[in-house]
Amino acid sequence: MSQDIAVQVTDLSKNYGPVQALRGVDLSIAAGEYFVLLGPSGGGKTTLLRLLGGFIRPSAGRILLHGIDVSEQPPNHRPTSMVFQSFALFPHMNVAQNIGYGLRLRKLPKVEIDERVAAMLDLVGLGDLADRMPHALSGGQQQRVQLGRSLVLETDILLLDEPLAALDAKLRKDMCLELKHLQEQVGITFVHVTHNQEEAMTVADNMAIIADGELVETGTARDLYENPRRRFTADFIGETNIFDGTVTGVNNGEVAVDLGFAALTVDDNGQCPNVGTEVSVSIRSELVQILRSGIAVAADQQTLTANYGEAVYLGLATSHVAALPNGQAVVARHVSTGLALDVIAPGSSVELAWPRSMMRLHLS
Amino acid sequence: MGDDYSSVWSYRLKWLYTLLVVFTLMLPVFYVIYVSFNQNGFGAAEYVFTFEWYGEIFSDLLLLGALGNTFILAGITLAVAVPMGLIAAKFYKATEAKLLTVSLLLSPLFVPADILGSALLVFFKNLNIACATIGEWLGVSWFDTWFELGYFSALVGLIIYTLPYIFVVILITMGRYNEQQTEAARSCGATAWQAFVQVEFPQIRAGVFSACAFAVILTFNEYTRTSLLKGGYDTITSVLISQMLNEGMSEQSYAMSSLISFIAIALIGSIILYTLVQSERLEREARAKAEPVMSG
Ligand SMILES: Nc1ncnc2c1ncn2[C@@H]1O[C@H](COP(=O)(O)OP(=O)(O)OP(=O)(O)O)[C@@H](O)[C@H]1O
Ligand SMILES: [Mg+2]
Repeated sequence: MSQDIAVQVTDLSKNYGPVQALRGVDLSIAAGEYFVLLGPSGGGKTTLLRLLGGFIRPSAGRILLHGIDVSEQPPNHRPTSMVFQSFALFPHMNVAQNIGYGLRLRKLPKVEIDERVAAMLDLVGLGDLADRMPHALSGGQQQRVQLGRSLVLETDILLLDEPLAALDAKLRKDMCLELKHLQEQVGITFVHVTHNQEEAMTVADNMAIIADGELVETGTARDLYENPRRRFTADFIGETNIFDGTVTGVNNGEVAVDLGFAALTVDDNGQCPNVGTEVSVSIRSELVQILRSGIAVAADQQTLTANYGEAVYLGLATSHVAALPNGQAVVARHVSTGLALDVIAPGSSVELAWPRSMMRLHLS
Repeated sequence: MGDDYSSVWSYRLKWLYTLLVVFTLMLPVFYVIYVSFNQNGFGAAEYVFTFEWYGEIFSDLLLLGALGNTFILAGITLAVAVPMGLIAAKFYKATEAKLLTVSLLLSPLFVPADILGSALLVFFKNLNIACATIGEWLGVSWFDTWFELGYFSALVGLIIYTLPYIFVVILITMGRYNEQQTEAARSCGATAWQAFVQVEFPQIRAGVFSACAFAVILTFNEYTRTSLLKGGYDTITSVLISQMLNEGMSEQSYAMSSLISFIAIALIGSIILYTLVQSERLEREARAKAEPVMSG
């Protein structure tokens, strides 16, 4: 069962008039997986999710759910159910009636409906709110009711469109973990749309980055964070320093990149660029160290000379900003220890250093 | 209610003023009601209280027939125009060409009653001639009378007249409905029809009922289009007006007018009350939603 493909999308496109919201997306999601669609606003995440749910019709391409082509099927004929951002509870029904709605549509016996609704109320932690009306619930409770209303149907695939966006930061964190545990408990496929990285990283088994109507990259949270293939991914996830340059030599899996004011050598990571190609090299800001000039560094470190700018205190971390000779800012981020560090004067010359092996090469 | 600092008396005065305006507007109606209970009828020097005229309504065949005709017209208008208005409002919410749709649907409001009535009259007369002529050519006569003035033509006039009002009233309540609930219902397994009946309709019911009441009241009030397109003075308004123009209203007519007023006031009163209660509830909900969502 776990080897099954729950969602198989091929060459999927959607146009709204002249707007191309989605272009030629290919994607497959394994059954029982918690899959996250992550990307900037307007990227096409909602469009893709609504195409899966059957609320809009594809302009081109096919959608297979559990091997069955549903491209032409309406929402009520698909093995999916959907959780919306907010305000999607039926205001004229109480919590129990909301959760039981889909079961009543299936004309199940009343006893069975009551039983399953009660079990679902317990699962989503609303056992004592069965008779409340939606307007008398907090945002978090409303989203739990929505979850219950979808989960009780035991459909194979649950679609969630920014289900936590209307909640405050603290509650969002708690509900994130709850969602993850709930998914592990019920074992069905979750497809979750968000533009919040932390949310995505918390819940995802696998995720896809979607931007500008295109699927940029897929992988686990760790893959995408530590080993991004595309420049966009490196830039979008976390805080990263990216240097653009030209390939000057390829040798034995090592690529030499000229930045104009300095040269870097980076692992090719299985990609084979030609000499002369424009490429990018990225390094995560937490891997960059700022050293006073003249201090010796280990051989496995890449160094660049820069001008120290300023420190920005962010609570958990402190960001140090320094400027490269070409004016580009580089950020070095470190956990704030609370110890008094020796202060570097703005404008003084410093060495930036990071492990060579942690740089990533991006051809596009 | 105003804020905590506003004076109670300014609030009470506003209410008093409102009631005064309503009372002034309704004065003629109250006078008719007053007359309808007078044994001696309109303008008499002596007032003797009686229910007699109310009893006689039911023996006045002309009035009863007119009431029946009016109810038939109102019933059919309601049955045809309200679903049309509902569909039009749904279409309006879905379409991109909103300006065109709304201008087309509201255009009957901007045509004066007598112009629309006589235009339709000419239209139906010509249609009759056309039917008769074609019938003669073909040597058949069974569709000669299809478009003769009568219920059908009057209904067309009334539907054109009431549709814009119905459309607007329904659209106002529908505007508050969140389309996402329909999608939520669909993803729970509902067909489009089930989603409409079980989820959307209960939330726009107030608007649909108001629209029904509107259609009935407008039909009762309508004189120009109905009398032009139906011929025969046999609806409530046309009977009352023709009586007034000729021999003066009969005493039963006062009673009938009062009766209709009672019903209309009760109907509109309950609709307003229902709508107020409903909108109070919706507002409460909106306030509850607008409050910041806290942890827990
Ligand atoms: N009904 C529509 N008509 C026209 N354009 C639309 C429509 N819906 C979406 N779009 C456009 O399609 C693109 C993708 O929209 P979509 O809602 O899928 O983005 P998203 O990734 O969900 O963004 P967000 O994170 O802001 O919700 C956007 O440029 C948007 O303006
Ligand atoms: Mg979206």
